[in-house]
Amino acid sequence: MFSISDYCFVISASSVQEIRSTDSLGGNVVDLDRPVLQKVRHIVERDSRSYYVVSGYEHFHLPLSRPTSVLILRAVPVAVLVDRIEEMAEMRVLLGLPRSFCGEERVWYRGLTVLGRKVVPVADPRGFLTAEELRRLEEENPGLLQTAGHAVGASRHERERV
Amino acid sequence: MNAGTSNLVPAFVVLQVGTRRIALPREGVAELIASPLLFTFPHTTPLIAGVVLRRGRILPVLDLGPGVSGAPSPSTRFFLVVERQISNAPEKCAIPVQGACELVSGIMLPAGDDGGFVAGHLDLNGEQIQVLDLEKAIAISAANKDNWVPELEELS
Repeated sequence: MFSISDYCFVISASSVQEIRSTDSLGGNVVDLDRPVLQKVRHIVERDSRSYYVVSGYEHFHLPLSRPTSVLILRAVPVAVLVDRIEEMAEMRVLLGLPRSFCGEERVWYRGLTVLGRKVVPVADPRGFLTAEELRRLEEENPGLLQTAGHAVGASRHERERV
Repeated sequence: MNAGTSNLVPAFVVLQVGTRRIALPREGVAELIASPLLFTFPHTTPLIAGVVLRRGRILPVLDLGPGVSGAPSPSTRFFLVVERQISNAPEKCAIPVQGACELVSGIMLPAGDDGGFVAGHLDLNGEQIQVLDLEKAIAISAANKDNWVPELEELS
């Protein structure tokens, strides 16, 4: 379970590669040349792989928050900034989002679950950046994701020189 | 809900949404529930205030307040559960209501073509109650979500 602003969310542990403190990312972060999405301004490199850094509060249209952790996802090139990691919990049931919900939440969530008598949305790892959003990012920043590892090295070098 | 209807005349449920008393046809109403907790999470669907848990099922909470009375409904423990048809499948939703709901019978006088989401009117001992077309109310209120103002004229 993680939280952003005043809200709690669940994401399956199997879809998270790594959880890091934002402080520990440091020089592994590269600014996007052309940030076409408000919620994505950086790329982070971890273990020779690169990930678009998605601002959690901007993704969910929440008020400005203070992220302290980053969830590096497994099957998608996405790292999500979140305010806090709350706890590990066992999700026994995944209920479909009622059809009355017809907005962006249909992309954001796999469904809803009940944890400790609370209803909590289950984030869809593929919902943080849709295929279309990934395509736009790649189109505007061609090859950046693949070469971010090198860019990180270069950027470190640049900083050292400055 | 108060009983007291005849099978021979149509029945309606009169409910209070915000400051307004309105009616819905009885057929679409399932039950009145008390639920202590409204769960909220980020979403972008107009009029949906969150969800409540009812017997292990999750019911979306549909606030008619903005469209009917011009403002979100005040916090409440009571919800009228109605059945909607969404994509040709039924789905139960909970409408926040203030105070008791009343089951009444009467003949509805249809609204004119320009009635918006008012399907007609009921005369309850001299008080004029507007009967909503729920799906139209949802559609019109959602379309006007950036410009919510009281859309119904006081008739009583």
